[in-house]
Amino acid sequence: MIRFEHVTKYFGERTVLDDVSLDIEPGETFVIVGFSGAGKSVTLKHIIRLLTPDLGRVYIGAEAISEATGRDLELLREQFGVLFQGGALLEWLSVGENVALPLRERTAMTDAEIERRVQEKLKLVNLEGVMDAHPSELSGGMRKRVGLARAIVMNPHIILYDEPTSGLDPVTSRAIDQLIERMRQELNVTSVVVTHDLFSALSIGGRIAMISDGRIIEMAKPADFIKSKNEVVKSFLDAQYITKRGVWERGNHETHE
Amino acid sequence: MVMITREPEFFPPPINRLGQFGRNVLLTCRNAGRALLMLGEALLDLRFMFSQRSRPEVLHQFYVTGIKSLGVISVVAIFTGMILALQTGLELRKFGQEVNIGVAVMVSMLREMGPFMTALILAASVGSAIAAELGTMVVSEEIAALEVMSIRPVRMLVMPRLAALMIMTPILTFYASMLGVIGGGIVGLTQLGVSIPAYMDNAVRYAENKDLYVGLFKAFVFGIMITIIACHQGFSTTEGAVGVGRATRQSVIISFLSILVVGYIITRLLYE
Ligand SMILES: Nc1ncnc2c1ncn2[C@@H]1O[C@H](COP(=O)(O)OP(=O)(O)OP(=O)(O)O)[C@@H](O)[C@H]1O
Ligand SMILES: [Mg+2]
Repeated sequence: MIRFEHVTKYFGERTVLDDVSLDIEPGETFVIVGFSGAGKSVTLKHIIRLLTPDLGRVYIGAEAISEATGRDLELLREQFGVLFQGGALLEWLSVGENVALPLRERTAMTDAEIERRVQEKLKLVNLEGVMDAHPSELSGGMRKRVGLARAIVMNPHIILYDEPTSGLDPVTSRAIDQLIERMRQELNVTSVVVTHDLFSALSIGGRIAMISDGRIIEMAKPADFIKSKNEVVKSFLDAQYITKRGVWERGNHETHE
Repeated sequence: MVMITREPEFFPPPINRLGQFGRNVLLTCRNAGRALLMLGEALLDLRFMFSQRSRPEVLHQFYVTGIKSLGVISVVAIFTGMILALQTGLELRKFGQEVNIGVAVMVSMLREMGPFMTALILAASVGSAIAAELGTMVVSEEIAALEVMSIRPVRMLVMPRLAALMIMTPILTFYASMLGVIGGGIVGLTQLGVSIPAYMDNAVRYAENKDLYVGLFKAFVFGIMITIIACHQGFSTTEGAVGVGRATRQSVIISFLSILVVGYIITRLLYE
Protein backbone atom coordinates (compact mmCIF):
# COMPACT_ATOMS: atom_id res chain seq x y z
CA MET A 1 0.00 0.00 0.00
CA ILE A 2 2.71 2.44 1.05
CA ARG A 3 6.22 1.50 0.05
CA PHE A 4 9.51 3.28 0.65
CA GLU A 5 12.34 2.15 -1.59
CA HIS A 6 15.72 3.21 -0.28
CA VAL A 7 14.56 6.69 0.57
CA THR A 8 17.31 9.10 1.50
CA LYS A 9 16.75 12.74 2.35
CA TYR A 10 19.32 15.42 3.02
CA PHE A 11 18.70 18.73 4.71
CA GLY A 12 21.83 20.57 3.70
CA GLU A 13 24.74 18.59 5.04
CA ARG A 14 22.58 16.50 7.34
CA THR A 15 21.10 13.16 6.35
CA VAL A 16 17.66 13.10 7.95
CA LEU A 17 16.51 9.88 6.31
CA ASP A 18 19.14 7.31 5.50
CA ASP A 19 18.18 4.54 3.10
CA VAL A 20 14.74 3.88 4.56
CA SER A 21 12.76 1.03 3.07
CA LEU A 22 9.36 -0.03 4.30
CA ASP A 23 6.27 -1.71 3.05
CA ILE A 24 3.00 -0.96 4.78
CA GLU A 25 0.19 -3.41 4.05
CA PRO A 26 -3.40 -2.39 3.31
CA GLY A 27 -5.42 -2.44 6.50
CA GLU A 28 -2.36 -2.36 8.69
CA THR A 29 -1.73 0.00 11.57
CA PHE A 30 1.93 0.88 11.25
CA VAL A 31 3.46 2.70 14.17
CA ILE A 32 6.62 4.77 14.01
CA VAL A 33 8.39 5.57 17.26
CA GLY A 34 11.66 7.28 17.97
CA PHE A 35 13.38 10.04 19.85
CA SER A 36 12.57 13.64 19.22
CA GLY A 37 14.25 14.82 16.03
CA ALA A 38 14.81 11.29 14.76
CA GLY A 39 12.97 11.87 11.50
CA LYS A 40 9.44 10.63 12.22
CA SER A 41 7.57 13.66 10.90
CA VAL A 42 9.92 13.81 7.94
CA THR A 43 9.03 10.21 7.09
CA LEU A 44 5.33 11.00 7.32
CA LYS A 45 5.76 14.03 5.07
CA HIS A 46 7.36 11.88 2.40
CA ILE A 47 4.26 9.71 2.26
CA ILE A 48 2.10 12.65 1.13
CA ARG A 49 4.82 14.34 -0.86
CA LEU A 50 5.24 17.37 1.31
CA LEU A 51 8.86 16.36 0.99
CA THR A 52 10.50 14.67 -1.99
CA PRO A 53 13.24 12.09 -1.48
CA ASP A 54 16.71 12.94 -2.75
CA LEU A 55 17.31 9.29 -3.50
CA GLY A 56 14.81 6.45 -3.76
CA ARG A 57 11.07 6.44 -4.27
CA VAL A 58 7.82 6.40 -2.38
CA TYR A 59 4.93 4.40 -3.81
CA ILE A 60 1.26 4.54 -2.95
CA GLY A 61 -0.17 1.35 -4.38
CA ALA A 62 1.43 1.13 -7.79
CA GLU A 63 1.96 4.87 -8.25
CA ALA A 64 5.15 6.66 -7.33
CA ILE A 65 3.90 9.66 -5.37
CA SER A 66 7.46 10.91 -5.12
CA GLU A 67 7.35 11.60 -8.87
CA ALA A 68 3.71 12.60 -9.30
CA THR A 69 2.68 16.13 -10.24
CA GLY A 70 -0.46 18.12 -10.87
CA ARG A 71 -3.65 16.17 -11.21
CA ASP A 72 -1.99 12.79 -10.48
CA LEU A 73 -0.69 14.06 -7.19
CA GLU A 74 -4.11 15.45 -6.35
CA LEU A 75 -5.73 12.07 -7.02
CA LEU A 76 -3.17 10.28 -4.88
CA ARG A 77 -3.59 12.74 -2.05
CA GLU A 78 -7.34 12.31 -2.15
CA GLN A 79 -6.92 8.91 -0.54
CA PHE A 80 -5.35 10.41 2.56
CA GLY A 81 -6.45 11.97 5.78
CA VAL A 82 -3.62 13.68 7.61
CA LEU A 83 -3.35 14.82 11.21
CA PHE A 84 -0.49 17.29 11.55
CA GLN A 85 1.61 17.48 14.66
CA GLY A 86 0.18 20.85 15.68
CA GLY A 87 -3.34 20.29 14.35
CA ALA A 88 -2.91 22.85 11.53
CA LEU A 89 -6.37 24.35 12.00
CA LEU A 90 -7.29 27.51 10.11
CA GLU A 91 -7.53 30.18 12.79
CA TRP A 92 -10.20 32.33 11.20
CA LEU A 93 -12.66 29.48 10.78
CA SER A 94 -14.69 27.99 13.59
CA VAL A 95 -14.17 24.39 14.68
CA GLY A 96 -17.19 23.26 12.69
CA GLU A 97 -16.03 25.10 9.57
CA ASN A 98 -12.55 23.64 9.92
CA VAL A 99 -13.85 20.11 10.02
CA ALA A 100 -16.29 20.86 7.21
CA LEU A 101 -13.63 22.44 5.02
CA PRO A 102 -12.70 19.41 2.87
CA LEU A 103 -16.37 18.57 2.43
CA ARG A 104 -17.21 22.14 1.39
CA GLU A 105 -14.31 22.45 -1.00
CA ARG A 106 -14.14 19.00 -2.48
CA THR A 107 -17.64 17.55 -2.49
CA ALA A 108 -21.12 18.57 -3.57
CA MET A 109 -22.73 17.69 -0.23
CA THR A 110 -25.56 19.88 1.02
CA ASP A 111 -25.22 21.97 4.16
CA ALA A 112 -27.41 19.58 6.12
CA GLU A 113 -25.35 16.55 5.15
CA ILE A 114 -22.14 18.37 5.95
CA GLU A 115 -23.45 19.42 9.33
CA ARG A 116 -24.44 15.86 10.15
CA ARG A 117 -21.10 14.43 9.07
CA VAL A 118 -19.15 17.05 11.02
CA GLN A 119 -21.12 16.34 14.17
CA GLU A 120 -20.61 12.64 13.77
CA LYS A 121 -16.84 13.01 13.46
CA LEU A 122 -16.54 15.46 16.34
CA LYS A 123 -18.42 12.97 18.45
CA LEU A 124 -15.96 10.25 17.51
CA VAL A 125 -13.11 12.31 18.95
CA ASN A 126 -15.06 13.15 22.11
CA LEU A 127 -15.61 16.76 21.20
CA GLU A 128 -19.16 17.93 21.26
CA GLY A 129 -20.53 21.40 21.75
CA VAL A 130 -17.46 23.23 20.48
CA MET A 131 -18.72 23.57 16.91
CA ASP A 132 -18.83 27.35 17.05
CA ALA A 133 -15.68 27.94 19.07
CA HIS A 134 -12.59 29.22 17.31
CA PRO A 135 -9.35 27.24 17.39
CA SER A 136 -7.65 29.93 19.48
CA GLU A 137 -10.13 29.26 22.28
CA LEU A 138 -9.26 25.58 22.48
CA SER A 139 -6.59 23.75 24.46
CA GLY A 140 -3.76 22.01 22.64
CA GLY A 141 -5.34 18.60 23.08
CA MET A 142 -8.69 19.83 21.82
CA ARG A 143 -7.09 21.36 18.73
CA LYS A 144 -5.41 18.08 18.02
CA ARG A 145 -8.72 16.27 18.22
CA VAL A 146 -10.36 18.79 15.89
CA GLY A 147 -7.48 18.13 13.49
CA LEU A 148 -8.17 14.44 13.83
CA ALA A 149 -11.86 14.95 13.10
CA ARG A 150 -10.90 16.92 9.98
CA ALA A 151 -8.48 14.17 8.92
CA ILE A 152 -11.21 11.53 8.98
CA VAL A 153 -14.12 13.62 7.75
CA MET A 154 -13.76 12.53 4.11
CA ASN A 155 -13.65 8.86 5.16
CA PRO A 156 -10.19 8.36 3.68
CA HIS A 157 -8.76 4.88 3.49
CA ILE A 158 -5.24 5.85 4.50
CA ILE A 159 -4.77 8.02 7.56
CA LEU A 160 -1.50 9.52 8.77
CA TYR A 161 -1.32 10.60 12.36
CA ASP A 162 1.52 12.72 13.68
CA GLU A 163 1.42 12.22 17.43
CA PRO A 164 -2.35 11.82 17.84
CA THR A 165 -2.21 11.37 21.61
CA SER A 166 0.57 13.70 22.71
CA GLY A 167 -0.80 16.33 25.04
CA LEU A 168 -3.98 14.39 25.73
CA ASP A 169 -5.09 13.01 29.07
CA PRO A 170 -4.84 9.22 29.46
CA VAL A 171 -8.57 8.62 29.10
CA THR A 172 -8.87 10.58 25.87
CA SER A 173 -5.66 9.00 24.60
CA ARG A 174 -7.12 5.55 25.00
CA ALA A 175 -10.31 6.70 23.30
CA ILE A 176 -8.23 7.87 20.31
CA ASP A 177 -6.40 4.53 20.30
CA GLN A 178 -9.73 2.77 20.19
CA LEU A 179 -10.89 5.01 17.40
CA ILE A 180 -7.85 4.12 15.30
CA GLU A 181 -8.32 0.44 16.04
CA ARG A 182 -12.03 0.57 15.26
CA MET A 183 -11.47 2.26 11.92
CA ARG A 184 -9.05 -0.49 11.05
CA GLN A 185 -11.44 -3.24 11.98
CA GLU A 186 -14.63 -1.78 10.56
CA LEU A 187 -13.42 0.15 7.53
CA ASN A 188 -10.10 -1.57 6.84
CA VAL A 189 -8.34 1.78 7.07
CA THR A 190 -4.57 1.77 6.69
CA SER A 191 -2.97 3.93 9.36
CA VAL A 192 0.49 5.24 9.92
CA VAL A 193 0.88 6.54 13.44
CA VAL A 194 3.83 8.52 14.71
CA THR A 195 3.90 8.53 18.46
CA HIS A 196 6.03 8.87 21.57
CA ASP A 197 3.50 6.95 23.55
CA LEU A 198 4.75 3.37 23.65
CA PHE A 199 1.69 2.25 25.45
CA SER A 200 -0.52 3.19 22.53
CA ALA A 201 2.09 2.02 20.04
CA LEU A 202 2.04 -1.44 21.56
CA SER A 203 -1.71 -1.60 21.85
CA ILE A 204 -2.70 -0.42 18.37
CA GLY A 205 0.33 -1.29 16.27
CA GLY A 206 0.33 -4.16 13.82
CA ARG A 207 4.01 -3.47 13.41
CA ILE A 208 6.22 -0.97 15.12
CA ALA A 209 9.23 0.64 13.53
CA MET A 210 11.75 2.59 15.50
CA ILE A 211 13.62 5.36 13.75
CA SER A 212 16.87 6.67 15.12
CA ASP A 213 19.01 9.23 13.31
CA GLY A 214 17.06 8.76 10.11
CA ARG A 215 17.47 5.01 10.02
CA ILE A 216 15.04 2.24 10.83
CA ILE A 217 16.76 0.33 13.58
CA GLU A 218 13.95 -2.06 14.44
CA MET A 219 10.73 -3.10 12.76
CA ALA A 220 8.65 -5.82 14.38
CA LYS A 221 5.28 -6.87 15.74
CA PRO A 222 4.61 -5.52 19.23
CA ALA A 223 5.35 -8.82 20.93
CA ASP A 224 8.73 -9.01 19.25
CA PHE A 225 9.43 -5.32 19.50
CA ILE A 226 9.59 -5.40 23.29
CA LYS A 227 12.01 -8.30 23.10
CA SER A 228 14.32 -6.43 20.75
CA LYS A 229 18.04 -6.97 21.21
CA ASN A 230 18.88 -3.52 19.87
CA GLU A 231 20.42 -1.37 22.61
CA VAL A 232 18.70 1.83 21.48
CA VAL A 233 15.31 0.15 21.40
CA LYS A 234 15.97 -1.31 24.83
CA SER A 235 16.80 2.06 26.30
CA PHE A 236 13.68 3.49 24.67
CA LEU A 237 11.56 0.74 26.22
CA ASP A 238 13.23 0.99 29.60
CA ALA A 239 12.63 4.71 29.74
CA GLN A 240 8.90 4.02 29.62
CA TYR A 241 9.05 1.05 32.02
CA ILE A 242 7.85 -1.37 29.41
CA THR A 243 9.59 -4.62 30.03
CA LYS A 244 7.04 -7.30 29.76
CA ARG A 245 4.08 -7.99 27.62
CA GLY A 246 1.42 -8.00 30.31
CA VAL A 247 1.60 -4.27 30.96
CA TRP A 248 0.09 -3.25 27.69
CA GLU A 249 -1.82 -6.25 26.44
CA ARG A 250 -5.53 -5.75 26.07
CA GLY A 251 -6.37 -8.89 24.22
CA ASN A 252 -7.32 -7.39 20.86
CA HIS A 253 -4.21 -8.38 18.97
CA GLU A 254 -5.12 -11.77 17.66
CA THR A 255 -6.32 -10.04 14.51
CA HIS A 256 -2.79 -8.88 13.81
CA GLU A 257 -0.97 -12.09 14.49
CA MET B 1 -1.10 24.51 -10.44
CA VAL B 2 1.81 25.88 -8.47
CA MET B 3 2.85 24.10 -5.31
CA ILE B 4 3.03 26.59 -2.49
CA THR B 5 4.56 24.45 0.22
CA ARG B 6 8.30 24.49 -0.27
CA GLU B 7 10.94 22.18 1.01
CA PRO B 8 13.56 23.80 3.20
CA GLU B 9 16.51 24.93 1.11
CA PHE B 10 20.13 24.78 2.04
CA PHE B 11 23.05 26.39 0.25
CA PRO B 12 26.72 25.78 0.77
CA PRO B 13 28.48 28.89 2.06
CA PRO B 14 29.43 31.14 -0.87
CA ILE B 15 33.04 31.12 -1.99
CA ASN B 16 33.37 34.90 -2.03
CA ARG B 17 31.43 38.15 -2.24
CA LEU B 18 30.90 37.76 -5.94
CA GLY B 19 29.50 34.27 -5.48
CA GLN B 20 27.14 35.59 -2.83
CA PHE B 21 26.03 38.40 -5.12
CA GLY B 22 25.48 36.06 -8.05
CA ARG B 23 23.43 33.73 -5.94
CA ASN B 24 21.28 36.56 -4.66
CA VAL B 25 20.62 37.76 -8.20
CA LEU B 26 19.59 34.27 -9.29
CA LEU B 27 17.37 33.78 -6.25
CA THR B 28 15.73 37.15 -6.83
CA CYS B 29 14.97 36.21 -10.42
CA ARG B 30 13.57 32.89 -9.35
CA ASN B 31 11.38 34.48 -6.71
CA ALA B 32 10.11 37.05 -9.18
CA GLY B 33 9.27 34.23 -11.56
CA ARG B 34 7.43 32.33 -8.86
CA ALA B 35 5.51 35.43 -7.86
CA LEU B 36 4.48 36.01 -11.48
CA LEU B 37 3.33 32.41 -11.86
CA MET B 38 1.26 32.79 -8.74
CA LEU B 39 -0.17 36.04 -10.11
CA GLY B 40 -1.17 34.23 -13.29
CA GLU B 41 -2.90 31.51 -11.33
CA ALA B 42 -4.65 34.03 -9.09
CA LEU B 43 -5.86 36.04 -12.08
CA LEU B 44 -7.34 32.89 -13.61
CA ASP B 45 -8.95 32.10 -10.29
CA LEU B 46 -10.74 35.45 -10.34
CA ARG B 47 -13.45 33.64 -12.27
CA PHE B 48 -14.46 32.02 -8.97
CA MET B 49 -14.83 35.42 -7.33
CA PHE B 50 -18.60 35.24 -7.15
CA SER B 51 -18.87 31.49 -6.58
CA GLN B 52 -20.75 30.55 -3.48
CA ARG B 53 -17.67 29.13 -1.78
CA SER B 54 -15.46 32.17 -2.28
CA ARG B 55 -17.96 34.99 -1.92
CA PRO B 56 -17.87 35.35 1.90
CA GLU B 57 -14.08 35.51 1.93
CA VAL B 58 -13.99 37.95 -0.99
CA LEU B 59 -16.47 40.25 0.74
CA HIS B 60 -14.51 40.01 3.96
CA GLN B 61 -11.33 41.06 2.17
CA PHE B 62 -13.12 43.98 0.54
CA TYR B 63 -14.22 45.07 3.96
CA VAL B 64 -10.75 44.71 5.49
CA THR B 65 -9.03 46.51 2.62
CA GLY B 66 -11.57 49.20 1.94
CA ILE B 67 -13.31 50.16 5.11
CA LYS B 68 -10.55 49.60 7.61
CA SER B 69 -8.03 51.77 5.79
CA LEU B 70 -10.47 54.61 5.19
CA GLY B 71 -9.51 56.59 8.29
CA VAL B 72 -5.78 56.79 7.69
CA ILE B 73 -6.22 57.41 3.99
CA SER B 74 -8.61 60.30 4.65
CA VAL B 75 -6.25 62.07 7.01
CA VAL B 76 -3.21 61.55 4.82
CA ALA B 77 -5.08 62.63 1.67
CA ILE B 78 -6.40 65.89 3.16
CA PHE B 79 -2.99 66.85 4.48
CA THR B 80 -1.27 65.94 1.25
CA GLY B 81 -3.68 68.24 -0.62
CA MET B 82 -3.13 71.00 1.92
CA ILE B 83 0.64 70.74 1.71
CA LEU B 84 0.55 70.71 -2.08
CA ALA B 85 -1.64 73.80 -2.16
CA LEU B 86 0.43 75.69 0.37
CA GLN B 87 3.73 74.80 -1.22
CA THR B 88 2.80 75.64 -4.80
CA GLY B 89 0.57 78.51 -3.69
CA LEU B 90 3.41 80.33 -1.93
CA GLU B 91 5.55 80.08 -5.04
CA LEU B 92 2.76 81.03 -7.44
CA ARG B 93 1.89 84.07 -5.31
CA LYS B 94 5.21 85.61 -6.31
CA PHE B 95 3.81 85.79 -9.83
CA GLY B 96 0.26 86.61 -8.79
CA GLN B 97 -0.90 83.23 -10.04
CA GLU B 98 -2.40 81.83 -6.81
CA VAL B 99 -5.57 80.74 -8.58
CA ASN B 100 -3.58 78.11 -10.46
CA ILE B 101 -3.18 76.04 -7.32
CA GLY B 102 -6.49 74.51 -8.42
CA VAL B 103 -5.03 72.70 -11.37
CA ALA B 104 -1.71 72.07 -9.62
CA VAL B 105 -3.38 70.24 -6.73
CA MET B 106 -5.91 68.47 -8.92
CA VAL B 107 -3.36 67.11 -11.37
CA SER B 108 -0.76 66.08 -8.79
CA MET B 109 -3.37 64.38 -6.66
CA LEU B 110 -5.01 62.50 -9.51
CA ARG B 111 -1.91 61.46 -11.33
CA GLU B 112 0.81 61.13 -8.70
CA MET B 113 0.07 61.71 -5.06
CA GLY B 114 -3.32 59.98 -4.89
CA PRO B 115 -2.15 56.60 -6.17
CA PHE B 116 1.21 56.92 -4.46
CA MET B 117 -0.09 57.77 -0.99
CA THR B 118 -2.92 55.25 -1.16
CA ALA B 119 -0.60 52.48 -2.30
CA LEU B 120 1.95 53.23 0.40
CA ILE B 121 -0.70 53.15 3.08
CA LEU B 122 -2.20 49.93 1.76
CA ALA B 123 1.23 48.29 1.45
CA ALA B 124 2.06 49.22 5.02
CA SER B 125 -1.26 48.19 6.53
CA VAL B 126 -3.00 45.62 4.37
CA GLY B 127 0.09 44.22 2.63
CA SER B 128 2.05 43.68 5.81
CA ALA B 129 -0.98 42.04 7.41
CA ILE B 130 -1.29 39.66 4.46
CA ALA B 131 2.36 38.68 4.69
CA ALA B 132 2.14 38.10 8.43
CA GLU B 133 -1.09 36.13 8.15
CA LEU B 134 0.08 33.84 5.37
CA GLY B 135 3.51 33.50 6.97
CA THR B 136 1.95 32.31 10.20
CA MET B 137 -0.13 29.84 8.26
CA VAL B 138 2.97 28.44 6.61
CA VAL B 139 4.77 28.10 9.91
CA SER B 140 1.90 26.29 11.60
CA GLU B 141 1.60 23.93 8.60
CA GLU B 142 -1.87 25.20 7.70
CA ILE B 143 -0.84 25.76 4.09
CA ALA B 144 0.62 22.27 3.93
CA ALA B 145 -2.63 20.93 5.35
CA LEU B 146 -4.62 22.75 2.65
CA GLU B 147 -2.43 21.36 -0.10
CA VAL B 148 -2.71 17.87 1.26
CA MET B 149 -6.49 18.26 1.18
CA SER B 150 -6.08 19.40 -2.44
CA ILE B 151 -7.48 22.81 -1.59
CA ARG B 152 -5.47 25.33 -3.57
CA PRO B 153 -4.13 28.09 -1.31
CA VAL B 154 -4.04 30.46 -4.28
CA ARG B 155 -7.76 30.19 -4.87
CA MET B 156 -8.66 30.20 -1.24
CA LEU B 157 -6.27 32.86 0.07
CA VAL B 158 -4.63 34.86 -2.73
CA MET B 159 -7.56 35.34 -5.08
CA PRO B 160 -9.86 37.11 -2.57
CA ARG B 161 -7.05 39.42 -1.51
CA LEU B 162 -6.12 40.14 -5.09
CA ALA B 163 -9.71 40.92 -6.00
CA ALA B 164 -10.05 43.26 -3.04
CA LEU B 165 -6.82 45.18 -3.57
CA MET B 166 -7.19 45.32 -7.35
CA ILE B 167 -10.58 46.96 -7.09
CA MET B 168 -10.30 48.89 -3.85
CA THR B 169 -6.97 50.58 -4.58
CA PRO B 170 -8.35 52.60 -7.54
CA ILE B 171 -11.51 53.44 -5.62
CA LEU B 172 -9.58 54.55 -2.56
CA THR B 173 -7.21 56.47 -4.82
CA PHE B 174 -10.05 58.41 -6.35
CA TYR B 175 -11.45 59.08 -2.91
CA ALA B 176 -8.03 60.22 -1.67
CA SER B 177 -7.55 62.51 -4.68
CA MET B 178 -10.89 64.17 -4.10
CA LEU B 179 -10.17 64.70 -0.41
CA GLY B 180 -6.78 66.12 -1.38
CA VAL B 181 -8.46 68.60 -3.71
CA ILE B 182 -10.80 69.62 -0.92
CA GLY B 183 -7.86 70.03 1.44
CA GLY B 184 -6.13 72.20 -1.16
CA GLY B 185 -9.27 74.27 -1.54
CA ILE B 186 -9.39 74.94 2.19
CA VAL B 187 -5.81 76.13 2.23
CA GLY B 188 -6.46 78.21 -0.88
CA LEU B 189 -9.39 79.92 0.81
CA THR B 190 -7.84 80.48 4.22
CA GLN B 191 -4.16 81.09 3.41
CA LEU B 192 -4.01 82.30 -0.15
CA GLY B 193 -7.28 84.10 -0.63
CA VAL B 194 -8.48 81.97 -3.57
CA SER B 195 -12.26 81.56 -3.47
CA ILE B 196 -13.68 78.05 -3.68
CA PRO B 197 -15.54 78.61 -6.99
CA ALA B 198 -12.42 80.07 -8.62
CA TYR B 199 -10.32 77.19 -7.29
CA MET B 200 -12.73 74.53 -8.53
CA ASP B 201 -13.21 76.21 -11.87
CA ASN B 202 -9.46 76.35 -12.41
CA ALA B 203 -9.01 72.75 -11.29
CA VAL B 204 -11.74 71.34 -13.52
CA ARG B 205 -10.94 73.45 -16.55
CA TYR B 206 -7.25 72.60 -16.88
CA ALA B 207 -7.09 69.04 -15.57
CA GLU B 208 -7.53 66.42 -18.25
CA ASN B 209 -9.40 63.15 -18.18
CA LYS B 210 -6.13 61.48 -18.95
CA ASP B 211 -4.77 62.51 -15.56
CA LEU B 212 -7.63 60.68 -13.93
CA TYR B 213 -7.21 57.55 -16.03
CA VAL B 214 -3.47 57.39 -15.56
CA GLY B 215 -3.92 57.70 -11.79
CA LEU B 216 -6.53 54.96 -11.68
CA PHE B 217 -4.42 52.72 -13.88
CA LYS B 218 -1.45 53.22 -11.58
CA ALA B 219 -3.56 52.41 -8.56
CA PHE B 220 -4.78 49.24 -10.24
CA VAL B 221 -1.22 48.13 -10.94
CA PHE B 222 -0.10 49.05 -7.41
CA GLY B 223 -2.96 47.01 -5.96
CA ILE B 224 -1.87 43.92 -7.85
CA MET B 225 1.77 44.46 -6.91
CA ILE B 226 1.04 44.86 -3.22
CA THR B 227 -1.00 41.66 -3.11
CA ILE B 228 1.46 39.53 -4.99
CA ILE B 229 4.50 40.77 -3.14
CA ALA B 230 2.82 40.27 0.23
CA CYS B 231 1.44 36.83 -0.64
CA HIS B 232 4.72 35.68 -2.09
CA GLN B 233 6.69 36.86 0.91
CA GLY B 234 4.18 35.25 3.27
CA PHE B 235 4.29 31.93 1.46
CA SER B 236 8.10 31.97 1.41
CA THR B 237 8.31 32.21 5.19
CA THR B 238 10.65 29.81 6.92
CA GLU B 239 11.92 29.52 10.46
CA GLY B 240 9.00 30.24 12.71
CA ALA B 241 8.11 33.57 14.29
CA VAL B 242 11.38 35.20 13.27
CA GLY B 243 10.59 34.27 9.70
CA VAL B 244 7.14 35.83 9.91
CA GLY B 245 8.70 39.08 11.09
CA ARG B 246 11.19 39.01 8.25
CA ALA B 247 8.52 38.23 5.65
CA THR B 248 6.43 41.15 6.86
CA ARG B 249 9.32 43.59 6.79
CA GLN B 250 10.48 42.40 3.38
CA SER B 251 7.01 42.66 1.95
CA VAL B 252 6.69 46.31 3.05
CA ILE B 253 10.15 47.27 1.82
CA ILE B 254 9.79 45.56 -1.56
CA SER B 255 6.31 47.03 -2.05
CA PHE B 256 7.53 50.56 -1.25
CA LEU B 257 10.42 50.32 -3.67
CA SER B 258 8.34 48.80 -6.44
CA ILE B 259 5.61 51.40 -6.02
CA LEU B 260 8.15 54.19 -6.41
CA VAL B 261 9.89 52.67 -9.41
CA VAL B 262 6.80 51.44 -11.23
CA GLY B 263 5.01 54.74 -10.54
CA TYR B 264 7.83 56.62 -12.18
CA ILE B 265 7.94 54.26 -15.15
CA ILE B 266 4.22 54.56 -15.80
CA THR B 267 4.27 58.36 -15.70
CA ARG B 268 7.30 58.36 -17.93
CA LEU B 269 5.74 56.04 -20.49
CA LEU B 270 2.40 57.78 -20.63
CA TYR B 271 3.61 61.39 -20.63
CA GLU B 272 6.52 61.29 -23.00
N1 LIG C 1 11.98 22.43 7.79
C1 LIG C 1 13.14 21.94 8.29
N2 LIG C 1 14.29 22.59 8.10
C2 LIG C 1 15.44 22.11 8.59
N3 LIG C 1 15.55 20.99 9.29
C3 LIG C 1 14.44 20.28 9.52
C4 LIG C 1 13.16 20.72 9.03
N4 LIG C 1 12.24 19.81 9.42
C5 LIG C 1 12.90 18.87 10.11
N5 LIG C 1 14.22 19.14 10.17
C6 LIG C 1 15.25 18.31 10.83
O1 LIG C 1 15.03 16.97 10.51
C7 LIG C 1 15.17 16.16 11.65
C8 LIG C 1 13.97 15.27 11.78
O2 LIG C 1 12.87 16.06 12.09
P1 LIG C 1 11.43 15.47 12.40
O3 LIG C 1 10.48 16.62 12.41
O4 LIG C 1 11.14 14.36 11.48
O5 LIG C 1 11.61 14.92 13.87
P2 LIG C 1 10.57 14.03 14.69
O6 LIG C 1 11.09 12.66 14.75
O7 LIG C 1 9.21 14.21 14.12
O8 LIG C 1 10.67 14.70 16.11
P3 LIG C 1 9.49 15.09 17.14
O9 LIG C 1 9.18 13.85 17.87
O10 LIG C 1 10.13 16.09 18.02
O11 LIG C 1 8.36 15.63 16.36
C9 LIG C 1 15.35 17.07 12.85
O12 LIG C 1 16.64 16.91 13.33
C10 LIG C 1 15.14 18.46 12.32
O13 LIG C 1 16.17 19.28 12.81
MG1 LIG D 1 7.52 15.26 14.61
